[in-house]
Amino acid sequence: MVFTGTVLTNSRRNFLGVLLGSAALAGCGVFDSEPEPAPQPDAFQPLLDEALALAAAYDRLIVSQPALATRLTPLAEDHRAHAADLTRLIGAAVVSAAPSASAPSAPADSIATLRKAEQAGQKAAAAACKTAPADRAMLAGSIAACRATHAEALR
Amino acid sequence: MTEQLAAALAAEEAAIYAYGVIGVHLTDADEVSRARAADLEHRARRDDLIDRIDELRASAAPAPAAYALPFEVTDREGALKLAVHVEDGVAQAWRALLPVTEGDERSDALSHLTDSAVRATRWRRIAEVTPLTMAFPGRPG
Repeated sequence: MVFTGTVLTNSRRNFLGVLLGSAALAGCGVFDSEPEPAPQPDAFQPLLDEALALAAAYDRLIVSQPALATRLTPLAEDHRAHAADLTRLIGAAVVSAAPSASAPSAPADSIATLRKAEQAGQKAAAAACKTAPADRAMLAGSIAACRATHAEALR
Repeated sequence: MTEQLAAALAAEEAAIYAYGVIGVHLTDADEVSRARAADLEHRARRDDLIDRIDELRASAAPAPAAYALPFEVTDREGALKLAVHVEDGVAQAWRALLPVTEGDERSDALSHLTDSAVRATRWRRIAEVTPLTMAFPGRPG
Protein backbone atom coordinates (compact mmCIF):
# COMPACT_ATOMS: atom_id res chain seq x y z
CA MET A 1 0.00 0.00 0.00
CA VAL A 2 2.66 2.45 1.04
CA PHE A 3 4.85 1.35 -1.82
CA THR A 4 2.06 1.84 -4.36
CA GLY A 5 1.49 5.32 -3.02
CA THR A 6 5.13 6.18 -3.50
CA VAL A 7 5.20 5.02 -7.08
CA LEU A 8 2.11 7.00 -7.83
CA THR A 9 3.47 10.18 -6.31
CA ASN A 10 6.77 9.86 -8.14
CA SER A 11 5.29 9.21 -11.51
CA ARG A 12 2.90 12.08 -11.11
CA ARG A 13 5.64 14.37 -10.01
CA ASN A 14 7.79 13.33 -12.92
CA PHE A 15 5.06 13.95 -15.39
CA LEU A 16 4.24 17.33 -13.93
CA GLY A 17 7.94 18.08 -13.93
CA VAL A 18 8.02 17.44 -17.64
CA LEU A 19 5.15 19.82 -18.25
CA LEU A 20 6.49 22.50 -15.92
CA GLY A 21 9.94 22.09 -17.40
CA SER A 22 8.61 22.92 -20.80
CA ALA A 23 7.16 26.18 -19.53
CA ALA A 24 10.41 27.09 -17.79
CA LEU A 25 12.46 26.34 -20.89
CA ALA A 26 10.26 28.48 -23.07
CA GLY A 27 10.96 31.39 -20.71
CA CYS A 28 14.69 30.76 -20.61
CA GLY A 29 15.19 30.77 -24.34
CA VAL A 30 13.78 34.25 -24.74
CA PHE A 31 15.18 36.11 -21.77
CA ASP A 32 18.41 34.45 -20.86
CA SER A 33 21.17 36.59 -22.32
CA GLU A 34 24.01 35.42 -20.06
CA PRO A 35 26.57 33.10 -21.56
CA GLU A 36 25.64 29.56 -20.66
CA PRO A 37 28.46 27.01 -20.55
CA ALA A 38 26.19 23.97 -20.65
CA PRO A 39 24.66 23.33 -24.09
CA GLN A 40 21.03 24.40 -24.17
CA PRO A 41 18.58 21.60 -24.69
CA ASP A 42 16.70 21.79 -27.94
CA ALA A 43 13.58 23.94 -27.74
CA PHE A 44 11.55 20.93 -28.87
CA GLN A 45 13.00 18.60 -26.22
CA PRO A 46 9.92 19.16 -23.97
CA LEU A 47 7.66 18.07 -26.86
CA LEU A 48 9.65 14.86 -27.14
CA ASP A 49 9.56 14.26 -23.37
CA GLU A 50 5.79 14.81 -23.37
CA ALA A 51 5.27 12.44 -26.30
CA LEU A 52 7.20 9.70 -24.50
CA ALA A 53 5.43 10.37 -21.19
CA LEU A 54 2.01 10.28 -22.88
CA ALA A 55 2.80 7.04 -24.72
CA ALA A 56 3.95 5.50 -21.42
CA ALA A 57 0.80 6.65 -19.63
CA TYR A 58 -1.35 4.94 -22.29
CA ASP A 59 0.74 1.79 -22.01
CA ARG A 60 0.26 1.67 -18.24
CA LEU A 61 -3.49 2.09 -18.52
CA ILE A 62 -3.68 -0.62 -21.18
CA VAL A 63 -1.75 -2.97 -18.89
CA SER A 64 -4.06 -2.31 -15.98
CA GLN A 65 -7.24 -2.36 -18.12
CA PRO A 66 -6.67 -4.62 -21.14
CA ALA A 67 -10.25 -4.07 -22.29
CA LEU A 68 -9.21 -0.56 -23.30
CA ALA A 69 -6.41 -1.77 -25.58
CA THR A 70 -8.34 -1.52 -28.86
CA ARG A 71 -9.37 2.01 -28.11
CA LEU A 72 -6.11 3.29 -26.66
CA THR A 73 -3.39 1.56 -28.66
CA PRO A 74 -3.77 3.76 -31.77
CA LEU A 75 -3.46 6.86 -29.59
CA ALA A 76 -0.28 5.56 -27.97
CA GLU A 77 1.05 4.80 -31.47
CA ASP A 78 0.42 8.43 -32.51
CA HIS A 79 2.60 9.60 -29.62
CA ARG A 80 5.33 7.19 -30.59
CA ALA A 81 5.19 8.52 -34.16
CA HIS A 82 5.63 12.03 -32.74
CA ALA A 83 8.57 10.88 -30.64
CA ALA A 84 10.20 9.31 -33.70
CA ASP A 85 9.87 12.49 -35.78
CA LEU A 86 11.03 14.70 -32.93
CA THR A 87 14.03 12.49 -32.26
CA ARG A 88 14.96 12.68 -35.94
CA LEU A 89 14.56 16.45 -35.95
CA ILE A 90 16.49 17.13 -32.77
CA GLY A 91 19.16 14.68 -33.76
CA ALA A 92 21.55 12.99 -31.39
CA ALA A 93 20.60 9.96 -29.40
CA VAL A 94 18.08 11.65 -27.21
CA VAL A 95 15.80 8.84 -26.12
CA SER A 96 15.52 10.09 -22.57
CA ALA A 97 13.27 7.14 -21.75
CA ALA A 98 10.00 8.52 -20.53
CA PRO A 99 10.48 9.41 -16.88
CA SER A 100 7.58 7.31 -15.73
CA ALA A 101 8.11 4.44 -18.15
CA SER A 102 9.86 2.40 -15.49
CA ALA A 103 6.84 2.39 -13.21
CA PRO A 104 4.99 -0.73 -14.36
CA SER A 105 1.57 0.37 -13.24
CA ALA A 106 0.43 3.64 -11.77
CA PRO A 107 -3.11 3.07 -10.54
CA ALA A 108 -3.93 6.75 -10.94
CA ASP A 109 -3.96 6.57 -14.74
CA SER A 110 -7.47 6.79 -16.08
CA ILE A 111 -9.22 8.06 -19.18
CA ALA A 112 -9.86 11.30 -17.31
CA THR A 113 -6.21 11.87 -16.34
CA LEU A 114 -5.09 11.01 -19.88
CA ARG A 115 -7.54 13.51 -21.26
CA LYS A 116 -6.17 16.23 -18.98
CA ALA A 117 -2.62 15.33 -19.96
CA GLU A 118 -3.55 15.52 -23.67
CA GLN A 119 -5.07 18.95 -23.17
CA ALA A 120 -1.98 20.18 -21.32
CA GLY A 121 0.17 18.66 -24.06
CA GLN A 122 -1.88 20.38 -26.75
CA LYS A 123 -1.33 23.76 -25.09
CA ALA A 124 2.40 23.16 -24.79
CA ALA A 125 2.70 22.11 -28.45
CA ALA A 126 0.60 25.07 -29.60
CA ALA A 127 2.92 27.42 -27.68
CA ALA A 128 5.94 25.72 -29.23
CA CYS A 129 4.38 26.08 -32.68
CA LYS A 130 3.76 29.79 -32.21
CA THR A 131 7.42 30.58 -31.49
CA ALA A 132 9.02 27.91 -33.66
CA PRO A 133 11.15 28.76 -36.70
CA ALA A 134 9.26 28.33 -39.98
CA ASP A 135 10.78 24.94 -40.78
CA ARG A 136 9.52 23.47 -37.49
CA ALA A 137 6.07 25.05 -37.33
CA MET A 138 4.23 22.32 -39.21
CA LEU A 139 5.54 19.50 -37.02
CA ALA A 140 4.64 21.27 -33.77
CA GLY A 141 1.28 22.27 -35.27
CA SER A 142 0.37 18.74 -36.28
CA ILE A 143 1.39 17.45 -32.86
CA ALA A 144 -0.78 20.06 -31.15
CA ALA A 145 -3.74 19.19 -33.40
CA CYS A 146 -3.22 15.47 -32.82
CA ARG A 147 -3.23 15.88 -29.05
CA ALA A 148 -6.49 17.83 -29.39
CA THR A 149 -8.04 14.99 -31.38
CA HIS A 150 -6.95 12.57 -28.66
CA ALA A 151 -8.73 14.63 -26.02
CA GLU A 152 -11.78 14.45 -28.27
CA ALA A 153 -11.41 10.70 -28.84
CA LEU A 154 -11.29 10.17 -25.06
CA ARG A 155 -14.61 11.90 -24.46
CA MET B 1 1.88 33.53 -48.31
CA THR B 2 -0.79 34.51 -50.84
CA GLU B 3 -0.44 31.16 -52.53
CA GLN B 4 -1.20 29.34 -49.26
CA LEU B 5 -4.03 31.74 -48.49
CA ALA B 6 -5.55 31.05 -51.89
CA ALA B 7 -5.25 27.31 -51.27
CA ALA B 8 -6.95 27.69 -47.89
CA LEU B 9 -9.73 29.69 -49.54
CA ALA B 10 -10.20 26.97 -52.16
CA ALA B 11 -10.33 24.31 -49.42
CA GLU B 12 -12.90 26.28 -47.45
CA GLU B 13 -15.03 26.86 -50.57
CA ALA B 14 -14.89 23.15 -51.30
CA ALA B 15 -15.92 22.38 -47.71
CA ILE B 16 -18.90 24.74 -47.92
CA TYR B 17 -19.99 23.08 -51.14
CA ALA B 18 -19.49 19.61 -49.63
CA TYR B 19 -21.52 20.40 -46.52
CA GLY B 20 -24.40 21.39 -48.78
CA VAL B 21 -24.32 17.89 -50.24
CA ILE B 22 -23.71 16.28 -46.84
CA GLY B 23 -26.73 17.99 -45.29
CA VAL B 24 -29.03 16.47 -47.88
CA HIS B 25 -28.13 12.95 -46.79
CA LEU B 26 -28.28 13.37 -43.02
CA THR B 27 -31.53 13.01 -41.07
CA ASP B 28 -30.47 12.53 -37.45
CA ALA B 29 -31.03 15.84 -35.67
CA ASP B 30 -27.65 15.82 -33.94
CA GLU B 31 -25.80 15.03 -37.15
CA VAL B 32 -27.70 17.70 -39.06
CA SER B 33 -26.90 20.32 -36.45
CA ARG B 34 -23.23 19.35 -36.42
CA ALA B 35 -23.10 19.68 -40.20
CA ARG B 36 -24.83 23.04 -40.01
CA ALA B 37 -22.40 24.31 -37.37
CA ALA B 38 -19.45 23.12 -39.46
CA ASP B 39 -20.86 24.84 -42.53
CA LEU B 40 -21.19 28.14 -40.65
CA GLU B 41 -17.65 27.86 -39.34
CA HIS B 42 -16.27 27.25 -42.83
CA ARG B 43 -18.22 30.23 -44.16
CA ALA B 44 -16.79 32.47 -41.44
CA ARG B 45 -13.27 31.30 -42.27
CA ARG B 46 -13.88 31.87 -45.98
CA ASP B 47 -15.00 35.43 -45.30
CA ASP B 48 -11.90 36.06 -43.16
CA LEU B 49 -9.69 34.67 -45.89
CA ILE B 50 -11.27 36.90 -48.52
CA ASP B 51 -10.65 39.93 -46.28
CA ARG B 52 -7.05 38.92 -45.67
CA ILE B 53 -6.38 38.34 -49.35
CA ASP B 54 -7.93 41.74 -50.09
CA GLU B 55 -5.65 43.33 -47.50
CA LEU B 56 -2.65 41.89 -49.25
CA ARG B 57 -4.04 43.20 -52.53
CA ALA B 58 -3.70 39.75 -53.97
CA SER B 59 -6.36 38.30 -56.14
CA ALA B 60 -7.34 34.79 -55.31
CA ALA B 61 -7.94 32.36 -58.08
CA PRO B 62 -11.62 32.62 -58.88
CA ALA B 63 -13.65 29.84 -57.32
CA PRO B 64 -14.52 27.23 -59.88
CA ALA B 65 -18.19 27.29 -60.82
CA ALA B 66 -18.72 23.69 -59.83
CA TYR B 67 -16.79 21.46 -57.49
CA ALA B 68 -16.04 17.91 -58.29
CA LEU B 69 -16.71 15.71 -55.28
CA PRO B 70 -13.99 13.14 -54.64
CA PHE B 71 -16.61 10.40 -54.81
CA GLU B 72 -20.33 10.08 -55.33
CA VAL B 73 -22.47 10.67 -52.26
CA THR B 74 -25.81 8.88 -52.22
CA ASP B 75 -26.46 8.09 -48.56
CA ARG B 76 -25.56 8.86 -44.94
CA GLU B 77 -22.47 6.70 -45.02
CA GLY B 78 -21.12 8.55 -48.03
CA ALA B 79 -22.04 11.90 -46.49
CA LEU B 80 -20.09 11.12 -43.31
CA LYS B 81 -17.13 9.92 -45.36
CA LEU B 82 -17.20 13.17 -47.34
CA ALA B 83 -17.31 15.19 -44.10
CA VAL B 84 -14.15 13.45 -42.87
CA HIS B 85 -12.54 13.98 -46.28
CA VAL B 86 -13.22 17.73 -46.45
CA GLU B 87 -12.09 18.37 -42.87
CA ASP B 88 -8.85 16.52 -43.59
CA GLY B 89 -8.40 18.64 -46.72
CA VAL B 90 -9.06 21.88 -44.88
CA ALA B 91 -6.61 20.83 -42.17
CA GLN B 92 -3.92 20.36 -44.83
CA ALA B 93 -4.51 23.83 -46.22
CA TRP B 94 -4.23 25.53 -42.82
CA ARG B 95 -1.16 23.53 -41.87
CA ALA B 96 0.57 24.86 -44.99
CA LEU B 97 0.05 28.38 -43.63
CA LEU B 98 2.03 27.71 -40.43
CA PRO B 99 5.53 28.19 -41.89
CA VAL B 100 4.58 31.35 -43.80
CA THR B 101 2.87 33.13 -40.89
CA GLU B 102 3.96 34.40 -37.48
CA GLY B 103 2.48 35.32 -34.13
CA ASP B 104 -1.28 35.66 -33.97
CA GLU B 105 -1.75 34.85 -37.62
CA ARG B 106 0.06 31.56 -37.13
CA SER B 107 -1.99 30.88 -33.99
CA ASP B 108 -5.17 31.41 -36.01
CA ALA B 109 -3.98 29.00 -38.69
CA LEU B 110 -3.14 26.45 -36.00
CA SER B 111 -6.50 26.85 -34.36
CA HIS B 112 -8.24 26.22 -37.70
CA LEU B 113 -6.01 23.19 -38.34
CA THR B 114 -6.83 21.87 -34.87
CA ASP B 115 -10.52 22.60 -35.21
CA SER B 116 -10.80 20.72 -38.50
CA ALA B 117 -8.79 17.81 -37.15
CA VAL B 118 -11.06 17.54 -34.11
CA ARG B 119 -14.14 17.78 -36.31
CA ALA B 120 -12.79 15.00 -38.55
CA THR B 121 -12.37 12.87 -35.42
CA ARG B 122 -15.98 13.54 -34.39
CA TRP B 123 -17.24 12.57 -37.85
CA ARG B 124 -15.18 9.39 -37.74
CA ARG B 125 -16.70 8.49 -34.40
CA ILE B 126 -20.21 9.11 -35.73
CA ALA B 127 -19.41 7.05 -38.84
CA GLU B 128 -17.81 4.39 -36.61
CA VAL B 129 -14.59 4.59 -38.60
CA THR B 130 -11.37 3.65 -36.84
CA PRO B 131 -8.81 4.76 -36.01
CA LEU B 132 -10.42 7.99 -34.86
CA THR B 133 -7.19 9.95 -35.09
CA MET B 134 -4.08 10.31 -37.22
CA ALA B 135 -0.60 11.05 -35.91
CA PHE B 136 -0.03 14.13 -38.08
CA PRO B 137 -3.27 15.95 -38.92
CA GLY B 138 -2.83 18.08 -42.02
CA ARG B 139 0.19 16.20 -43.31
CA PRO B 140 -0.59 15.18 -46.90
CA GLY B 141 -0.51 11.55 -47.85
